[in-house]
Amino acid sequence: METLGFLMEGFAVALTPYNLMFALFGAFVGTLIGCLPGLGPANGVAILIPLAFTLGLPPETAMILLTAVYAGAMYGGRISSILLNIPGDEPAMMTCLDGYPMAQKGRAADALAVSAIASFAGGLIGTIGLIMLAPVLAKFALTFGPAEYFALFLLAFATLGGITGKNPMKTVIAATLGIMISTVGIDISTGTQRYTFGVLELYEGIDFILAIVGLFAISELLFFVEHRMGGGREKMTVGKLSLSLKELVTTIPTQLRGGVLGFISGVLPGAGASLGSFISYTLEKQVVGKKGTFGEGDIRGVVAPEAGNNGASSGALVPMLTLGVPGSGTTAVLLAMLISLNITPGPLMFTQNADIVWGVIAALLIGNVLLLVLNIPLVGFFVKLLSVPPMYLLPIVTMVAFVGIYSISHSTFDLYFMVAFGVAGYFLRKLEIPLVPIILGLLLGPEMEKNLGHAMVLSDGDWSILWASPLAMGLWIVAGLGLVLPYLIGPLLRRRMNAAMKESPVSD
Amino acid sequence: MTSFGDRILGLGLLVLAVAYGWAAQQWPEPFGGAESVGPETFPTILSVVLVAGSLYLMIKPDPDAQWPIGKSALELVVSVVVLIVYALLLEPLGFIIATTLAVGTLSWRMGAAPKRAFLTGLISAVVVFVLFNYGLSLSLPLGVLEVN
Repeated sequence: METLGFLMEGFAVALTPYNLMFALFGAFVGTLIGCLPGLGPANGVAILIPLAFTLGLPPETAMILLTAVYAGAMYGGRISSILLNIPGDEPAMMTCLDGYPMAQKGRAADALAVSAIASFAGGLIGTIGLIMLAPVLAKFALTFGPAEYFALFLLAFATLGGITGKNPMKTVIAATLGIMISTVGIDISTGTQRYTFGVLELYEGIDFILAIVGLFAISELLFFVEHRMGGGREKMTVGKLSLSLKELVTTIPTQLRGGVLGFISGVLPGAGASLGSFISYTLEKQVVGKKGTFGEGDIRGVVAPEAGNNGASSGALVPMLTLGVPGSGTTAVLLAMLISLNITPGPLMFTQNADIVWGVIAALLIGNVLLLVLNIPLVGFFVKLLSVPPMYLLPIVTMVAFVGIYSISHSTFDLYFMVAFGVAGYFLRKLEIPLVPIILGLLLGPEMEKNLGHAMVLSDGDWSILWASPLAMGLWIVAGLGLVLPYLIGPLLRRRMNAAMKESPVSD
Repeated sequence: MTSFGDRILGLGLLVLAVAYGWAAQQWPEPFGGAESVGPETFPTILSVVLVAGSLYLMIKPDPDAQWPIGKSALELVVSVVVLIVYALLLEPLGFIIATTLAVGTLSWRMGAAPKRAFLTGLISAVVVFVLFNYGLSLSLPLGVLEVN
């Protein structure tokens, strides 16, 4: 019951009025970020990092704020799925299948309400899973040596593309580029200047925060400019709530199944929230069988994917908090915040920074409650915001990104750098080089090199130490599978996901 | 389906990888003699991985994406120029003026009516400025609007 004690301390941290205020603010902003077009969760959290810095927030408050934003974004994604048949973010894709038909039948309010409840259930199940699994995994991770960590980082890169990823080689290239950028600056162990070209600003290395903000925010603006998606969307009406308690009760088994499945796929490397909601939806369809009306507005078709993706978003925090290895873009950005707060992520965090870890976990629980409370009465407000056209929104978001970066260092040099990263990000996205591995490379590169060095010192220069222990060997094998599997089963899975999208009579 | 994009990228990355790897070999031996892992070891591994990756891209490229041509490309260049000019003018002109111009131009180019676009720019600039300077006490440059 040690865990329970820690959790109570976590609540003590998260429930202080100051932290609670930021959790509420984060949950609100997160929902906004999730539902607005062109502002994904990773992008949104990235823009908030410099602001959290300049506000001089204490570490636990900063983490609570960003975690609340993260949880909120998962709630927000469903709003435009249901009302417009356009997913607000990728994991909300499956919610379109039954959410939009429900809205067309005039039950938009019901779909929104029930999906908020399902999100809550999924988030709750996922967080409980996180509370049970994380301390165990953290203890286990204490047995990791430098060689195991090196192999673990490789595994993280190899599986980041996901099983459904298109071209694993491009993930490898992206990760390598990210790590290369991280080697710029003075080498910490020897003091050698690497790739600085004598430029003073490069001595300390390239700040990953401005790289992240540039890659995400600026490249997104450029994509919108290119596709001329500046116009607004038609106004939506939500209608009256007609959901009965009985109907809600019948969805409880669906919520449980979805949440658990989502959590599992969130924890597993390379699966993530999108796969979580997909698996929950397809399984639910099979369990219910012919009795359901999936694809035509079945309420369980809304519940399952929403419970799934919120469960997965909590699950994705498990590897990030315990091993320091994030499995998704948004958790990678959260890791960036941790590193810039000078907190070394990984198993030691559970003992050295217990207040932060448990504060964040407690905040996740509180955040879920806040989100449920926020989402049901305020849904009309969020729907109104959905009709703000991107042509006003994106320039303002870009400006906020500029302000954030500028206020960290008060140097315009950083702003040019950010724009350069944005332009590079645009080209890379066009060439289908994924951006998340670049970010992860930037973040994990220095750790990876450090662990490689330590392992070599331990073995006196014998490279075979990297795969000597059974654990390290196992990690190498999983990493290898992570690169090979997308070739074998990726096309199959992708075809199924597309087929599921096409089956629904209204998707176009 | 052409696939020039990946080939050109592969070629560029190959050049980068070789230059990166070559530069790593030029560093002086660190003080205290060579260790099994020096400052050049990790970059050398990375450059080998990137060489392999770039060769793969050139041999098995994916089909090209739709690249913007003509007017879209011009709009993109304009947007990037606006961002660079924004960074350039932020300090001399001050936050409010520079932001009004930058946000206004961007949303105008994205399809808003000019008057509404620049009004959006002005309002957002003033709101953010007040919020930062008075709410969060972080000073943003006032530039030419400075009175003293």
